[in-house]
Amino acid sequence: MEQILATTLRSAAPLVLVATAGVFAFRAGIFHLGLEGLMITGAFTTVAVGEATGSVELGILAAIGVCMALSAVYWWVIGPLGANVIIAGLGLTSVGLGGTAFALGAIFDRRGSMFTDVVLPRPVSGTTSGPGVIVSEHSILVWITPLIVLAAWIVLRRSRFGLRMTAAGEYPFAARTAGVNPSIVRLQALLIAGGLCALGGAELSVGALHNFTENMTNGRGFIAFVAVIFGAWHPIGAAFAGLFFGFADAIGIQSQINITERVPREFVLMIPFVLTIFAVWLGGLWRRRSLEAEAGYAELREPDY
Amino acid sequence: MTVPGGPASAGGPAVRCRSLGVSFGAVRALHGVSLDLAPGRIHALVGQNGAGKTTLAKVLGGLQAPDAGDVHIAGRKLPSGDVRAARAAGLAMVHQHFSLPPSFTVAEALELTAARPGGRSVYRRAELHQRWQDDVAEIGGEAVLSTRIRDLPVETRQSLEIMRALATEARVLVLDEPTALLAPAAIDALFERLRRLRDGGVTVLVVLHKLREVAAVADTVSVLRDGELALGPIEMSEVSQGRLSDAIVGPASQADRAVGVEAATGTERRTLLELVRVSSRESAFEPGLRDVDLRVEAGEIVGIAGVEGNGQRSLVSVIAGLDVAAEGTVLIGGADATRAPPAGRRLRGLRLVPFDRNSEGISRRAPLWLNQSALRLVERRRRRLPLISLRQYKQQAAMEMDQWRVRYDAVTQPAESLSGGNVQRLILSRELAPGLEVLVAAQPTRGLDFAATDFVRRSLRGLRDAGAGVLLVSSDLDELFENSDRLHVMYGGRIVARFEAPYDRRAVGDAMTGARR
Amino acid sequence: MTGSLQRVASTLLLVGVSFLLTTLILWASGYRVSEVFSGVIEGSLTATGAATSSIRWAIPLLLIGLGVVIGFRAGFFNIGGQGQFYVGACCALVVSLGWRDGPAPLVVLCGTAAAIMAGSAWSLLPGYLRVRFGTDEVLTTLMMNFIGALVLQYLTAGPMRNPSGTGQTAASERIPEAFRITDGSGVSATALLLVGGVAVLVWLLLERTRFGLTIVLVGRNPTMARWQGIDVRRVGLVTFALSGALAGLAGAVELYGPGARLVTGFSPEVGFTAVVVALVGLLSVWGTAAAAIFFGGLQSAILFLPIVTDLPPPALVLLHGMVALLVTVKFRSVRWRRPGSPAEALTA
Repeated sequence: MEQILATTLRSAAPLVLVATAGVFAFRAGIFHLGLEGLMITGAFTTVAVGEATGSVELGILAAIGVCMALSAVYWWVIGPLGANVIIAGLGLTSVGLGGTAFALGAIFDRRGSMFTDVVLPRPVSGTTSGPGVIVSEHSILVWITPLIVLAAWIVLRRSRFGLRMTAAGEYPFAARTAGVNPSIVRLQALLIAGGLCALGGAELSVGALHNFTENMTNGRGFIAFVAVIFGAWHPIGAAFAGLFFGFADAIGIQSQINITERVPREFVLMIPFVLTIFAVWLGGLWRRRSLEAEAGYAELREPDY
Repeated sequence: MTVPGGPASAGGPAVRCRSLGVSFGAVRALHGVSLDLAPGRIHALVGQNGAGKTTLAKVLGGLQAPDAGDVHIAGRKLPSGDVRAARAAGLAMVHQHFSLPPSFTVAEALELTAARPGGRSVYRRAELHQRWQDDVAEIGGEAVLSTRIRDLPVETRQSLEIMRALATEARVLVLDEPTALLAPAAIDALFERLRRLRDGGVTVLVVLHKLREVAAVADTVSVLRDGELALGPIEMSEVSQGRLSDAIVGPASQADRAVGVEAATGTERRTLLELVRVSSRESAFEPGLRDVDLRVEAGEIVGIAGVEGNGQRSLVSVIAGLDVAAEGTVLIGGADATRAPPAGRRLRGLRLVPFDRNSEGISRRAPLWLNQSALRLVERRRRRLPLISLRQYKQQAAMEMDQWRVRYDAVTQPAESLSGGNVQRLILSRELAPGLEVLVAAQPTRGLDFAATDFVRRSLRGLRDAGAGVLLVSSDLDELFENSDRLHVMYGGRIVARFEAPYDRRAVGDAMTGARR
Repeated sequence: MTGSLQRVASTLLLVGVSFLLTTLILWASGYRVSEVFSGVIEGSLTATGAATSSIRWAIPLLLIGLGVVIGFRAGFFNIGGQGQFYVGACCALVVSLGWRDGPAPLVVLCGTAAAIMAGSAWSLLPGYLRVRFGTDEVLTTLMMNFIGALVLQYLTAGPMRNPSGTGQTAASERIPEAFRITDGSGVSATALLLVGGVAVLVWLLLERTRFGLTIVLVGRNPTMARWQGIDVRRVGLVTFALSGALAGLAGAVELYGPGARLVTGFSPEVGFTAVVVALVGLLSVWGTAAAAIFFGGLQSAILFLPIVTDLPPPALVLLHGMVALLVTVKFRSVRWRRPGSPAEALTA
């Protein structure tokens, strides 16, 4: 049991970080399917720069910088250039997945994966039994994830900046009447999301593990996005949804060890995806009700003359 | 009270616009508008739909950057298209549409939109409520602060919009059609409030489209027509109602001959459309139908009057089959169509001119020919091969559009490239094709210029004279009075009064506001 | 007319820019650009078997891409091609291995029918949720992709596993040779006729039937379509089913053609590439065919002759990503210059 809880925390931390990124994007009105690509870029950049400089801090800083730069490109493409948000987002994901795998070969001459000595510090370690196992062996990023979620909550729900961002996403006309440029607010949201994705990726490669592997995010970016919807695009809600998916993942990992004989492992692995469809369906029902209540506003979304 | 915009130069105008111009693509919304508004007075701005009133208001508020010209407030030039600068100069705006995000609580919405100094960038809920509790006293007090905007009644939302504008201690207040959604009593209260503001030294510019309201509240009036200033700010005492009307409508334009429609039926009094005790579910923003009885016979125009949002949309949806009648019977051409799908109703000769032509009447990005051919896609004609010829479709579409004098360059151009009047002609060319038995026309002339309006009305009358039935839903009383053979008034989802020509404006107005049941 | 020419030109330009960016990355990584280009041309066209291989890779792209065309035209972002392709292939495999003694034509027909039905079913679930409850189809089809991949993994690593297989990745048993419609090259007269025939049928459906026009209207403006008496839900369900059917068919063709067995996680990018192909083909049937051959050629060059081209497969993913990132860019910012006007359709 302790083991499952520990695994839950470890699996959930990157999901929660990326889900928080998704909340920012979603609040600003962007259906961000590039999270996966940003996440893996963060994972790779941390390892690459960490290896080159020997410093994990520099690695993470570089990852944040690269992910923010990519987010700015994404903003430019979907905002000023008017590209389709979903297609461009999926494109961003492919750029991340393909680009990191390619760079792995081009820079380090490796195929598949590479090991790294550069790791995040682990405040508590060495406990092997008892309840202490739950908190043991977690990287510092796992520890500060709750703080990040709390900060996101304050920014989004208790600050003027958050009001502006929500207005820009929900009802751009309102934002404009308030003297807010929705496009700029979206850029800010995407930059924050980029930085959080970098942290999520870094936790994956140098927090929980000691390596970078091609496609190591394995759909986590998408699951994180679903956690956003599951959590009703509220930072706390999304964090709990991320925790829940982390729990499902932990059960999956445990079951591989324990119950493989009875239930094929693939079916256990399907659970999060099936749950996700269910969640999207439920979330859609809920969202539609509130949309219907706002139906009168539909015609007020700016006429694009 | 401080004056955020700095001291006004004594005697100078509170607002000065110089040769403002705004274009949207090929549409010229404003052209060479120069306007001086004297301080401390209520100025009305009137004009037809599409005359440029809202655009002018948006330019003043900084929401729309003009292509030409500039705006001065209290003698100082405003940077163009900057909402915050306009605010800082003491100009606040109340929009025609609600400008507050529906999911926000009242306190959050005020914090977002009111540029009142003070307050921290990170707050606690209680702090926020404390900050705004005095302002909301008149709309329900502190309790309302945590209510979401979307749960507020319409009047409260409007009061909130005005309150929000005033919270910034504005010296100039611009209101864009504030009366559109209000009940008469609320309109009187609003005007009283504007007068108090004026007496307190605020300059008010209010966009109105009813002359009666102008007469009730304005000190001066200006008229916009086709994006140009047709009549400068002129004292109300110096202008006659007739002169105002002329300025609004403009010189009688070359009238378009309406297209005659082939009689689809004889002229015997046949009931083409009938609703028997129909009720429907209410939607989020409109009441459902309540026991509605309605008949449209061949060769008549039946008008439906009512303040918008009193069930007109439900009525048309139930007739069209987009919404199902919960109770009662809908008959089209004498046959029960209560459960018939929309396509089945179309096949029986029901034709529709929807409320919002740009979103419901056409597909803006689809080519003209496809828009014109839409009805041909649902008809059920047996063929040996299911294949069609696009060329034939395009040719037929071109022919019918030419017949209705739609002005276009190529049948493949997207419908969004047409002007409003041409879009309505396109819709008429589609809906008024042979096969029509009964037409439901919802707000068919809204936003059209005089010539196009005249054309549409003639077409409706031509249709009636040819023996078809027409149900005309409109919020323009004059249109209804001029064209309807009979007139029903809707209020709260019911038909509360039935009139025959000649109509008594006061009686109809009372019915519309629920004063008469 | 000038409008569509403009669209073709701008799409070509955007694809060109994506290539340029990718080439820049390759160049910066130390690849010689001229060598890469000659290698790609050799690996897709001139080397022995290269042209055939290009066609082989173009076939699934075209079939799935046509499904994407139908879905996108109707305004549905059905990006579940990958999962539909997998379950189609899986069902064909189950039929073929379960009835391996049956008469070949009959088994292949049944297997193909099963693949088509499975693909449609895989697509109809999100489709039904979409038209009935308004559930966002982007996320559900995406999840169905992941589930489809696990179904494939389960079959190839479990019940259908080839026990004598030694490779690292699990693979199923081979189907009998008599069932195959092509040899290992993946190209034969049968396969080409089949795919060509399907393309013509889809073209007829989209461009020469009232249903095809209806799809366009629904995709452009469902509200207006409803007012015109079009049953938007029915159109939605049919288009979802057709998209899935085409992807399922692609799975069957893959199995009876070049594959002969299924390998865990085979062609992992084909679903997404098909979306790119359909968009580059401007959602027209022949444009999609041309784009499929083009991207099939690239795939062939990188997967078929890795030694000649010397490019690792991720470079291809990177390129596809670049194209997807840019291909939907609209050159309208020049015409619509309004202060702070965001693209309105930012949320789905």
